[in-house]
Amino acid sequence: MVLRTLDLLGPLHGYAIAKRIGQISGDVLAVNQGTLYPVLLRLEQEGAIASEWGVSENNRKARYYRLTRGGRRRLKAETEGWEQTAAIVTRFFAIKPEDLK
Amino acid sequence: MRTLRRLFARLRAWTGTASDEARLRAEIDEHVALITEEHIKDGLSPLEARRQALLQFGAIEAIKESYRDQRTFTSVETLIQDIRHALRRLLMAPTFSVATVLTLALGIGATTSIFSLVNAVLLKSLPVASPRELYRLGRQSRCCYLGGYSQDKEFSLVSYELYEYLRDNSQGFAELAAFPSAQLLFGVRRAGEVDAARSYPGEFVSGNYFSMFGIRPYAGRVLTPEDDKDGALPAAVISYRTWQQRFGTDPSVIGGIFAFNGTPVTVVGVTPPGFFGDTLRVMPPDFFLPLHAEPLVESASDLRKYDTHWLQLIGRIRADATPSAVEARLRVALKQWLRAHWEEMSAVDRAKFPEQTVFLGPGGAGITSMREQYGEWLLILWTVTGFVLLIVCANVAGLMLVRGLERRRQVSMAIALGARLARVIREPLIESLLLSVAGGAAGVAIAFGGTRLLLQLAFPSLPGFAGVPIDAAPSSAVLLFAFATSVATGIAFGTAPAWMAARVDPVEALRGSTRATARAGSLSRKALVVAQTALSLLLLSAAGLLTTALQHLEHQPLGFDPDGRLVVKMNPQLAGYRSDKLPPLYRRIRDSIDAVPGVSGVALCLFSPPDGGWSTSVWIDGRPTPGPRDTLHSSWNRVSAEYFDVVGTRIVKGRGISQLDTPTSPKVAVVSEAFARQFFGGDDPIGRHFGRTSRSGREFEIVGVAEDARYFSPSIGGPAAPMYFLPEAQADYSQTSLGSLFLHDIVIATRPGVRVSEKAVRDAMASADPGLPLTFVSTLRDQVSNQYPQQRLIARLTSFFALVSLVLVSVGLYGVTAHNAASRTNEIGVRIALGATRGQVVLLVLRGAFGLVVVGLCVALPLTFVVGRLLTSQLYGTDPDSLLVTVGAALALGVSAFVAALAPAIHASVMPPWVALRGD
Repeated sequence: MVLRTLDLLGPLHGYAIAKRIGQISGDVLAVNQGTLYPVLLRLEQEGAIASEWGVSENNRKARYYRLTRGGRRRLKAETEGWEQTAAIVTRFFAIKPEDLK
Repeated sequence: MRTLRRLFARLRAWTGTASDEARLRAEIDEHVALITEEHIKDGLSPLEARRQALLQFGAIEAIKESYRDQRTFTSVETLIQDIRHALRRLLMAPTFSVATVLTLALGIGATTSIFSLVNAVLLKSLPVASPRELYRLGRQSRCCYLGGYSQDKEFSLVSYELYEYLRDNSQGFAELAAFPSAQLLFGVRRAGEVDAARSYPGEFVSGNYFSMFGIRPYAGRVLTPEDDKDGALPAAVISYRTWQQRFGTDPSVIGGIFAFNGTPVTVVGVTPPGFFGDTLRVMPPDFFLPLHAEPLVESASDLRKYDTHWLQLIGRIRADATPSAVEARLRVALKQWLRAHWEEMSAVDRAKFPEQTVFLGPGGAGITSMREQYGEWLLILWTVTGFVLLIVCANVAGLMLVRGLERRRQVSMAIALGARLARVIREPLIESLLLSVAGGAAGVAIAFGGTRLLLQLAFPSLPGFAGVPIDAAPSSAVLLFAFATSVATGIAFGTAPAWMAARVDPVEALRGSTRATARAGSLSRKALVVAQTALSLLLLSAAGLLTTALQHLEHQPLGFDPDGRLVVKMNPQLAGYRSDKLPPLYRRIRDSIDAVPGVSGVALCLFSPPDGGWSTSVWIDGRPTPGPRDTLHSSWNRVSAEYFDVVGTRIVKGRGISQLDTPTSPKVAVVSEAFARQFFGGDDPIGRHFGRTSRSGREFEIVGVAEDARYFSPSIGGPAAPMYFLPEAQADYSQTSLGSLFLHDIVIATRPGVRVSEKAVRDAMASADPGLPLTFVSTLRDQVSNQYPQQRLIARLTSFFALVSLVLVSVGLYGVTAHNAASRTNEIGVRIALGATRGQVVLLVLRGAFGLVVVGLCVALPLTFVVGRLLTSQLYGTDPDSLLVTVGAALALGVSAFVAALAPAIHASVMPPWVALRGD
């Protein structure tokens, strides 16, 4: 989700990511925003995102996260993986008894 | 890939800087500020906005913690922190730390040094190539020479001819090597040296012996089948140890000529260091000679006797053969060989023919006679040290609990502040492990010295010989054992305090009084004292039982008088004597020793008690030929005139052996009471005749019956074995190859109150023949005591450990009593203020302490009886008065417990009541 958000909106700082995730999920995923940071750290360590200091819209110093090439690749791979999984699950839900005869 | 990259990132962060921490803080601050701004825009008051923002963000500290966990290796970091912390805390209590480490070192050191013996004797394989492929003939170790064509249970010793037959008729062995079961001594002298020959243990081996073991020479070459042939130039291989210790690795030894019992032999090579032959024993061979050199070196050769079985076999099995298939082939081959000798077999042998068989056992450890001899003892000792270690654990756990109590407030505060439980538990565990590893390190040092001492005590080497080839320096197996023991010990005594730390209630930190908390801890401490008491009683009574049993053993009716007598052992064979020169030698020895002032009598014999005798069959004249299964054997001894007077054995009937028995007088024998009982029942044996073969029933006339004496039987209460005695003067000295002509023991009786010095005896022997090697001079009493070196060792060590356990228990009890008394200060103050006398206070405290001891005793008493019975019946075949011993042990424990508890009790009673009441 973090990767997709960054993919959609370009470089963002932590608060913006948290806000967007909440927004996109329709406020269903309103978890503690702080838990985002360990996740960001892990993604950074894995090389999927990179971060740098920047200045936010209201002139504050903020750390901006952006997607790297590796991150884009990973997003693609995970998107495909998810679509496959979702498709399989969907098929199971869609199936009717007469289809199997 | 991803994980790997993460690992590097973490490593970088670990070695990296603290700026990460600042970055995180800045980011979080920023984040919270942004939410707060948003809320202010929504119309909340700044304060409320910030509160909402913080709620939305979540628990900042916990998130930081998990962020840190992600960033680097926190667990390692905190572990190092904890270890540092624990070290600091231990250094702050030096007395406690040193005492604990020493106690632990004692426990771990004792266990480890016994383990190094267990490892060397019971676990290790021979230092040879692929010991797993080796198999030996026979499951039990036998010694030394067996005659005839039948052996009990299994055929495990073979003659040279049978060895060749088995080797050539059992496919499956890549190599099958033979060597004697008996330990041989050679009188060795380097060519050109003037000194008398020295005795060296040696061994005859088949030519393929070294290739079978896969042993390469350290220098020169090893023996090959070419050396082990008729007419081959006699060659020998010297052990590395002897080459180094006796000849200072002199290279000219290789290729040098040495006289072995007078026969020149060329030393062709040196075995590798560490190789000690086929059997772990006290005197490993210093020289290896081919079997075909045996007729040249030994005056009585066995090589060509096909019905004298004296060789043991070890073979390396081929990769494509299974032991069971080889065993089956060997059985067939044995039967075929026996069939081929059907003509020479006696009726007894023929009757036993169907049951003759062989077994193949694992041979990687070589001939395991030492394992069979010492295994039980070592395991008992190991158990004893294990008990000591348990007591040490309980003791240290008690001390740790006290420390835990002192730290309760600190721990509950830490928990109240949000410390994770895992870390709170980890702290005492780390402390325990640090202590036990330090104790283990010190223990290894103790074990090194201890093993040395044990080796000397357990396997006393004769003066002039190198001794058992067990290295006292800890091997990797021993170090590993010590480390594992330390860790296990640390966990064992660290669990209790850790468990206690885990049960701390954070509320207690706020309550602030220690009084309410004393209970839980003291219960487990009490349990520890009870356990220690029980274990210690077990040890004490075991020690008592072993010691009394040993005393019984040493003071049993011996059938001879061990006091006021000396024993000299010599070896005329090694000095190159031929049998016809023996009678004059014996006469000279008798005369020169008789002339020593203070000597009242001297006699020579083949065996002096309690050493063993040789065995023969016995055929009584005028009796029908006995059935094949009747016991017809008796051991025998060749003795000179007046022997019975000199050793102090009573003649029950008839006469002893005297000067009247000469080569020309009728051949006579004196028999033991057991002999008379077994072969004549109630009849009078005097005047009857017996012989040693079926055709010579009238060989000897019985002229006397001697009291049963302890030759050969180390257990008390066991029946004495039959024995007969022949006069030395009537021996047939024309039989040059008869080993029994060489008497090697001299017994000297001294006048009461006179001490004859060893030097006087040696001088007298030297005047009889200066070149005669003496292997042993001691009192007969010592010779008796030396019969039981293991019993003595085990009794002494167990006593030592029992005393240690007694001290530990006393210290433990003192600690518990002192602590309990201290925590009851208030109560005692009130009692004294209300008029309790000092005596009542002392009683109050003592009662608490003694209650524990009594519980411990009650737990241990039934166990003690079981263990005592097992121990003594197994080791000595008797049951000494175990009740008395146990009561004594319980008393000893009670008294020391009383002393230990008395000091804190008195301390509590003399405390002025106002001090007590002021208390907390």
